[in-house]
Amino acid sequence: MKNGKLYLALLILTAGFGSCSKSGNDQTTIITPTVPSSNPISPGNISGFVKGTLTTGNSYTITGDLTIKAGDTLASQQGVTVIIKNNAQITVQGVLNLVGTQSQPIEFNSDSQKPGSWGGFQCDSAQAVTIKWTHIDNTGGPDPGGDPRKSVSVTVPINVDIEDSWFTNGQDDLLRLQGGCHITILRNTILCSGSTDGEAINIKSGATGVVAYNVVYSQAGSGIKMETSSTVPIPQTSIDVYNNTLVSNGWRRGAAEPGRGISIDLNARANIYNNLMVNDYQGLEIFAGADTINTKYGNNLFYASVNTYVDTTSAGGNAPISIRANFYPGDGVGKPKASDLISTAVGDKDPQFKSYDGKVATPNGAATGNDFHLNPGSPAIGKGNLTYNADIGAYTSDGKGNKH
Amino acid sequence: MRIALLICLFFLSLVVVAQTSAIKGRLTGRDHEPLAGAFVHLTNTALHTVTDSNGRFILANVPHGEYTLTVEYVGYRSVSRHVRLKENETEKIDIGMEVGDGTLGEVDVYGKISQEEDAGSRQREKRANNILNVISAKSMERSPDINAANVLQRMSGLTIQHNGGGDEAYPIVRGLDPRYTNTLIDGIKITSPDDKSRYVPLNIVPSDLLGSIEVHKSLLPEMEGDAIGGTVNMVMKDAPGKTTFRLLGSLGYNKIFMDQSFNQFSRSDISQKSPIEKYGSSYIAQPNDFSRSNLKFDAVRPIPNTVAALTWGRRFARRKFGLLLAAGYQNQYYGSNSIFNQAAPDIHSNGAPAISDFANRSFSTQQMNSGLTLHLDYHIDEKNKISLTSVGLYSLLAQSRVIIDTSIFGGNGGRTVPGTGPVSTDYTTVTSRQFLETTKLEGKHILSDHFLLDWTGVYSYAAKRTPDMADLSLNKKIDTVHTTGDQNGPYSFVETANYFDDITRIWQHNEDQDLDGMANLSYKSKLHSGGLLELKVGGLYRHKTRYNIQDSYDLKPTTASNGVKQVFTNIDSAQWTVYNSSGTYDYDKNKYRLYENVAAGYGEFKVSVPLFDVFGGMRVEKTEQGYSLNTFYPAGINGVKKNYTDLLPSIMVRFKLNEKTNLRASYYKGISRPNYYDLVPATRLSVSSATATTGNPYLNHTVSDNYDLRYEYYPHEEEAFFAGIFYKSIQNPIESAYVSGTTFEPENFGTAMDYGLELAYTRYFGKLGITGNYTYLDSRISSTKSYYNLATGYAQPDTLQERSLQGQTDHTLNLSLLYRDTKKGSYVQLAFQYIGKSIALVYPIYGYDYYQQPQSNLSLSAEQQLRNHRFVLFTKWNNLLNTAVRQQINSLLVDREITKLNFSFGLRYSQ
Repeated sequence: MKNGKLYLALLILTAGFGSCSKSGNDQTTIITPTVPSSNPISPGNISGFVKGTLTTGNSYTITGDLTIKAGDTLASQQGVTVIIKNNAQITVQGVLNLVGTQSQPIEFNSDSQKPGSWGGFQCDSAQAVTIKWTHIDNTGGPDPGGDPRKSVSVTVPINVDIEDSWFTNGQDDLLRLQGGCHITILRNTILCSGSTDGEAINIKSGATGVVAYNVVYSQAGSGIKMETSSTVPIPQTSIDVYNNTLVSNGWRRGAAEPGRGISIDLNARANIYNNLMVNDYQGLEIFAGADTINTKYGNNLFYASVNTYVDTTSAGGNAPISIRANFYPGDGVGKPKASDLISTAVGDKDPQFKSYDGKVATPNGAATGNDFHLNPGSPAIGKGNLTYNADIGAYTSDGKGNKH
Repeated sequence: MRIALLICLFFLSLVVVAQTSAIKGRLTGRDHEPLAGAFVHLTNTALHTVTDSNGRFILANVPHGEYTLTVEYVGYRSVSRHVRLKENETEKIDIGMEVGDGTLGEVDVYGKISQEEDAGSRQREKRANNILNVISAKSMERSPDINAANVLQRMSGLTIQHNGGGDEAYPIVRGLDPRYTNTLIDGIKITSPDDKSRYVPLNIVPSDLLGSIEVHKSLLPEMEGDAIGGTVNMVMKDAPGKTTFRLLGSLGYNKIFMDQSFNQFSRSDISQKSPIEKYGSSYIAQPNDFSRSNLKFDAVRPIPNTVAALTWGRRFARRKFGLLLAAGYQNQYYGSNSIFNQAAPDIHSNGAPAISDFANRSFSTQQMNSGLTLHLDYHIDEKNKISLTSVGLYSLLAQSRVIIDTSIFGGNGGRTVPGTGPVSTDYTTVTSRQFLETTKLEGKHILSDHFLLDWTGVYSYAAKRTPDMADLSLNKKIDTVHTTGDQNGPYSFVETANYFDDITRIWQHNEDQDLDGMANLSYKSKLHSGGLLELKVGGLYRHKTRYNIQDSYDLKPTTASNGVKQVFTNIDSAQWTVYNSSGTYDYDKNKYRLYENVAAGYGEFKVSVPLFDVFGGMRVEKTEQGYSLNTFYPAGINGVKKNYTDLLPSIMVRFKLNEKTNLRASYYKGISRPNYYDLVPATRLSVSSATATTGNPYLNHTVSDNYDLRYEYYPHEEEAFFAGIFYKSIQNPIESAYVSGTTFEPENFGTAMDYGLELAYTRYFGKLGITGNYTYLDSRISSTKSYYNLATGYAQPDTLQERSLQGQTDHTLNLSLLYRDTKKGSYVQLAFQYIGKSIALVYPIYGYDYYQQPQSNLSLSAEQQLRNHRFVLFTKWNNLLNTAVRQQINSLLVDREITKLNFSFGLRYSQ
C-alpha cells in the first residue's frame, strides 16, 4: 500500500514537472533521485504468498498459484516479463499495481502460449486493482471446478483502473467487473478471445464508471455487455460507454446466442456514444429489460464490409446472415438515431481503417494484423458527440484515444 | 439306559408321525376382537404357534395324548386349558382372553427377557414412556404404499419432502425440515449413503422388510438427542416365535408410460471410474475417454414394475436359536412431466417476480431397491440373550432428463412475442448406486432380580457412487420474420440450427463408516407403597468418517475452421475437445474428508404408581465434527473443526386416568447438528431445480425446547383417539438463505417457534372402519430479505421478514375408509390425503416466497384371502386423482409436476 502511494506520488511529481518544462523556454533537466523499490522480488521462480515489487527488466516464472494477501501489494515496474506455468492463477486479496509504460510494457504470458493456459488475475476480494501498459495473454485455463477463468475478475466495490493494456487469446469473459466496483477501462486492446462463449468486457451488478477508447476484435460473445443482477436490481449498473471500436465480434457463439458489439439488459443504464461497430454479428442491442428510460445513445457508426456473411452453422446449413439487418437487432428495443452513422451498402460510411482484412468470423487465438486507426477522410472523424469526443471510434484525432 | 430311552423315543416318534392329530382354534380379546400374534404352545413340548391376523391358530401333527395348552398375549392374563387329543382327531378350542392387571412394560422385577415384539401398535403407543406413534407391518402391508416414505406420510404430523421426480425422500415431522428428525434402523443411527443428508433416504427401504415404524415425538434421556422434530425408527422384522415363511410378488404399471414413452439410455458403456481415477493424475483425458451411448435416448415402453419379498424365520435347538431372513426387491419405472418457470424481478413492475424462463421438463426414472436383513439370536438361558442383526440395502437409480428452457428475459435476451426466444435443451443421464450395510451385535443380561445390562456394538457402511453423470447442452433461437417487411405486420417464426453448447461429465462417490458402541444398566425395584422404581444409566460413543470425491470434465464442441460453433445433429457425430483435460480430481472442492465423534451419557429414572408414571433424567452429548479439503487453498477455507457439548434434560408424566385413558405431558431439550455437507463451503448444483447450495462453515448447531401435551383414549382393541398439542422454541434454526444469483446457503436465524395440534382417530363400526388424523401447524421465523423500490432507487438488503418455516404445511388431513370382513378374509382401504400450503423456497426479495400449493391425493388398496387362508390376492392404486404438485409465488405459477396414476396387483403367501 505504502509502496503504491509512493509510486503514485512520484508519478504526479514527474507529471507536474513535465508540464512545467513545457511552459518555459529554458532547457531544464530535472534530476529525480533513483528510489529503490520497497520489497524487491528477486528474479526467478515465484509461487505461494508473495508481496513486493517485480523490478524493471527482470524475468519471473510463476510455477504455482500466487496469492497476494489482504494488506499486501504486488507491484510491477515497467519492462517486467512474467511466464506462468502449470495453469497457475494470481489471487489478489490485497492490492495489484502493474504499471508498465508505452516503451517498456509489462508482459504476462503462459509458457505454452496457447489460449486458455493460465488462470489470470482473480481479484474477487481485492482492495485495489491497477493495470497499465501490460500485456496479458492466453488466460482462461480451467479452475478447480473445470470452468474457464476470467482474465481479470472483480466482485467487490473497489476502484479498478485498467488502461492502455493488451489482452489476447483468453477464454470466456476477459474482464468481469461486478459487485459495485468503480471502473476506469480506457484505451485497451482485446483480441481474439473466448472459445465459443464469453464477453470481452462484462459488467454486472452495480458496477459504475467509464469504458472508453477500447478496441475489441473477434470476441466470441459481445464486446461490451452491461447488466444489473437478475435478483438484485439496485444498485444499478451505470456506465459511460464511448469511443470504442468493436470489430467482428459475436460469431463464434453461433446464431442461437449471437454476440453483440454492445448490449445492455436487466436494469442497467448507460450512455452509449461515438462507438464504431464493424462486422459484429449484432450491433447495439438495447434489451427491453434494460433501464430504457435512462439509457441514452447516439452518434454510433455501424458498418458491414460484406452484404451478408454465410454462417455455415445456421439453419439450413448455409443461410446468409445480413449484418446490416442486425445493427439494431429485432429482438431488442433500440432504434436508430438521427445522429448515428448507419451504412446502407458496402462502401457506404466505410470507416476506412488503416488496415483491415475484412474477416468476419475467425477462430479463438487467431493471429491478426489489423490496424483500426482511421485514414484521413474517414466518415467517423468529426461526427462524434462532443460531450465525449469530436470523433467516433477508439482512435481519435485529438490524441486522447487508444495509443496502441 | 439313556440309549435305550432314545431308541424308544425314536420308535415312538415314528408311530406318532403315522398317527397324528391337531388342535385348532380362535383367540379373541376384549369385545370379541381377534387377537393376532398371540403365542400358543403345549406345555412341556416344543409344539407352538402364533395366531394369524384373524386370531386363528393351528397346531398340526400333534401326537395324541393329554396336554396343557397355554396362550400368552401382551396385556392379557395367560390362559391354560387341558386338552385330551384322540388319534386322527382335530380338537377345536376357542379362547376368550381377559385383560391382565399389569402390562408388559411394568414387569415387577427382572425374570425373563420378554417377547416385547409381539405387542400390537396401539399397545405400544399406550404403554410407551414417551409420545409415540406406531405403524405396524400389517398396516403397511395392507396400505397402498410400497416404501417407508409413503407409509410415513399417513402418520399424524408427518409429511414427506420429495426432490425432483421421486429422488430421495425425507420426513418432515411437525413442519420441521428433515434435518431436525433423525432416522434410525432398529434404534440405531446408521450412516447415510446420501451425500447431502445425515439420514437414510426413506424411499430406498422396501416396506416388506419392516416390522413396524415408530415415530417418537418426545425424547427419553436414553435416546439420542439430535431429534428436535422427533425420531423415526424403522424396526426391521425380528425372529418370530414360530416358523414363518412368507412370499410376496406383485406387478404394476405407471399410467404415464401408457401415455408416453420412457427415455431409456444404455448403462453398458458407463465407465465406473473417471479418466484420472483410471489412469492417474498425470493423465491427459482424450475425447474418446467419454462414452456416447449414455447420452443416447431410446423411447421404450418399460417392463412392468415388480415387487417381490420373502421372509423366512424359525427357532431351532429347543427355541434357543432364532433366525430370520427377509429379502425385498422392487423395480419401479416412474416418470414426471413438469413445467418449471424461474422467476426474476421485473424492473418494469417495481421488482415484482415475473417469469424469466419457461422450462418443460420430462424425467424418466428407473429405481431398483433391494434389501436383505438377517437376524440371529441366541437365548443362552432365560436371563441372557445375544443377537446379531445385519441389514443390507442396495439401490439403483437410473434417470434421464430432458429439459427445454426458453428464456423470457435476461441473459442474452428473451422473447419478443410468444413462441420466440433463446431455447436451451439439456439431455442429462444419471446413474447412481447406493449401498448400505450395517451389522449390529447386542446382548441383554439379567444380572440379578434388580439389574439388567444391555450392550450394543455397530459397524455401518454406506456409499453412493454416481459415475459419469452426463449432461449435453444444446441451444437455438427462435425469432420472427415479418413477411411483408412491416414491423407491425404479419410474421412467421424462424428457427436457428440447434448448436452443440457443451457436455459436462461428473464422477462422484462418497463413502461413510460408523463405529458405535453403547451400553445401558437398568435397576428396577418395587416401592414399599406398591409402585415401581426404575433407574437407568448408559452411554454411547460413535466415530464417523466420510470421504467425498468428485472429478468433472468439460467437453467443448470443436469449432469450424472460422472458429464458429458446431451444429448438433446427433450424439454419434458430435465432435468435442476436452477443455479441462486433467479433470478436477486433484483440486475439486467437493473432494473432502470429514469426521464426527459423539460421546454421550445419561441417567434416567421412572417412578410408576397406579395413578401416574414420572419419567425423567439428563443426557450429555459431546460432539466433535469437522472436515478438511484434500487440497490446500491459499485463498479459502480448508477445513473446519467444531466442538460443542449439550446438556439435554427431559421429563415426562403419564397420568393413567383410567384403564383406557392416558394424559401425557412432556418436556425435553433436543439438538440438531449441521448436516455434514452444510459446513463444506463448496458449491453444488441441485439436481432438481435451477439452484445451487454452498456450505457455511460458520453454522451453529440448533437447540430446541420442546413441550408436548397429549390425551389418549383406547376404547377398544385397535381403536384409539389421540389429541395433542405441542410447542417448540428453536434457537439457531438452520434455514436455506439466499446468497446471490441462484445460490443458497444454510444459515442460522435467531429463534424460531413451531407449534401445532394433532388429532388421530380410529374406529370400527362392524365391518366398516375409519381411521384418520388431522394436523394443524404454524411456525414463525424471521429472515433477511432484500427490499427494493425501483421508482425511488431505495434499497435495503437486510429487511427482516417474518414467515413460516420452509416446508411447514398448515393443515394436513389423512382419512381412510376401511372395510374388513374377517370371515371372508376381505380388506379394502380407501386413503385420502390433503396437504396444505407450505413455503417450498424462500424468494430473495421482500414480500414474496415460493409456495407449494395444497394438494389432495387418493389411493386405494384391497386384498382378498383365498380359500385355504394361505394366499392373499392384493392390489394397490396410487394417485387416483392425478394430483399435480404445484408451486406458486402469489398467483404466479412457477412449477407444476404431473406423475399420474400407478397401480399393481400381487399375491402373498404365508405359512
